[in-house]
Amino acid sequence: MKNSPVIRTEKLVKSFPMGKGRFTALNGIDLTFTQGEFAGLIGPSGSGKTTLLNIIGSLDTPTSGDVMVLEKHIGHLTAKEAALLRKQSLGFIFQSYNLLAVHTVFENVEFPLLLLKFGASERKKMVMDALEWVGLTDKIRSKPPQLSGGECQRVAIARAMVKRPSVVLADEPTANLDAENSHNILQTMEKLNRELNTTFLFATHDDKVKSYLRRKIYLVDGTVASDEIFPN
Amino acid sequence: MKLAIVLAFRNLIGAGLRTWLNAIVLSFSFVVIIWMKGVMAGWDRQSKNDMAKWEIGGGQYWQEKYDPYDPFTWRESHAAIPAQFEPGIEQGDMIPVLVTQGSIYPQGRIQSIKIKGIDPDQKLLLLPTQKLDTVMTDAIPALIGAVTSRDLKMGVGDRATLQWRDANGTFDASDVLITGVFNVSVPSADQGQIYVPLARLQSMLGLPDEATILTYKDSRKERPVVQGWVNKPEKVLTASIDEMLKMKSTGQSILYFILLLLAMLAIFDTQVLSIFRRQKEIGTYIALGYTRREVVGLFTVEGAMYSVFAALLAAAYGLPLLIYQAKHGWTLPIDSSQFGVAIAQTLYPVYSAGLVVATVLLVMLTTVVVSYLPSRRIAKMNPTEALRGRIQ
Repeated sequence: MKNSPVIRTEKLVKSFPMGKGRFTALNGIDLTFTQGEFAGLIGPSGSGKTTLLNIIGSLDTPTSGDVMVLEKHIGHLTAKEAALLRKQSLGFIFQSYNLLAVHTVFENVEFPLLLLKFGASERKKMVMDALEWVGLTDKIRSKPPQLSGGECQRVAIARAMVKRPSVVLADEPTANLDAENSHNILQTMEKLNRELNTTFLFATHDDKVKSYLRRKIYLVDGTVASDEIFPN
Repeated sequence: MKLAIVLAFRNLIGAGLRTWLNAIVLSFSFVVIIWMKGVMAGWDRQSKNDMAKWEIGGGQYWQEKYDPYDPFTWRESHAAIPAQFEPGIEQGDMIPVLVTQGSIYPQGRIQSIKIKGIDPDQKLLLLPTQKLDTVMTDAIPALIGAVTSRDLKMGVGDRATLQWRDANGTFDASDVLITGVFNVSVPSADQGQIYVPLARLQSMLGLPDEATILTYKDSRKERPVVQGWVNKPEKVLTASIDEMLKMKSTGQSILYFILLLLAMLAIFDTQVLSIFRRQKEIGTYIALGYTRREVVGLFTVEGAMYSVFAALLAAAYGLPLLIYQAKHGWTLPIDSSQFGVAIAQTLYPVYSAGLVVATVLLVMLTTVVVSYLPSRRIAKMNPTEALRGRIQ
């Protein structure tokens, strides 16, 4: 299970209309990620890392080439099938947390479980477990505006992890955090990666994140410049 | 759907004041529409009741030439009371009324007046005809309504000369003494009319045992066809009220429309603003596993839920208000007798379950449509742009 591929891209191209021509954000990306990886797409702004993350997360579709996530061809999925894949198997962590502001911490973390139609008691247990992983059990009734940036991102991690997804996609998760909070949440994610064998794929240009990654893929102008794997 | 309701509820409760402002505006629509419709229903019921009690009973036979709107027919519209009605008249189930055109000279002025002869002992109508049963040697006892009293500037105890033409067309005149003034909300039982004892009028006109109108008590009884008389059931005689209320309802619909429009405008505005401001949230829903269509559904449910909140709010403050109105009535600020239509000074609104359900459904349905229209935009959104909060 540890080495089975969960994500595979082949000759992936993504281009967008721009003016009279097209802008190619990704140009022939070939990558494979296995279960339990803690990898990062690294590169400057405009290098295509977020675009790649969005396609892997079935929020976008490739212009050409193939992307397989958990044995599903992203390019061939209907809107419903893509939503099902995200709902069941993918977790997302965003730079600006994207928490539901009017919901409490508990409700935010509970949200993916509601979509999956878990029963109330099961939901409660799973939410409390997830909040325990990130150390926020004392904040269940707080709302995001009452939390610090670090706490918000921990809630986002709990929300991403609560359904135990196979893959977590994190787009610049530390960009809005100070160094201490960044290390805290990275340690949390690394711990979850090891304990739950969840694949983590980051899009980042933050050195703090880079120091935790066990695989670093450098993207330059939509192509893979280097792909480095580090031992545990 | 259940999840959409749960989420919509959380979102609306979480939005706080904005939610309640919309709900309050919408609740006004609920209460005002129900109240106004209730007033109309109450007016309808009261008018018909009053008309039946004061003027038409359970229906009437009209002498075939009689046209209440053409005074020139009145002198000709009389006939002998059919023998088959005699038992009914004796039992008090029917009363004959003789009608003719006349003139009255109060304080030297001349005014046209409809003279109605009615049995002073009748109990079928609420007219206080017992006040006509006064032995007078030199004047005819007469009864008038409050509006006529005001128009003629005459009250109880006042005298005036009454002029009429008998069956042969000969003018005759005599003094009348006002022995009673009554208040009634039915203009056609009051305005421009004077009631005198039937036997006296029959004698004045030289038309013994004749009548123009035969008012009967029971509207449910099958009525025979009688030569020379036209049966006018209660429903036909009150049709003018239905017509009038229909016209008034059309006018009121414009008010309902404006009210609903204002409430819907608030909801539409909130929805547009929500979609504009909540792009990131929309993107997050999609990232977490919603399809765009489901997000459209969520926002539509959210908008529609305003009407549920509004209904609850309306019930909270509107129910006591509406019940109070139904109990104590709504007294018109100006004298209703001047309106020229059958309307009581105090109206008692009548609220039926059908009225409440229909109003709630109408408002809810409109809210759903108004919520859905701007939400459709979500279906065209790019989720990756939405996640970044970029305006699309």
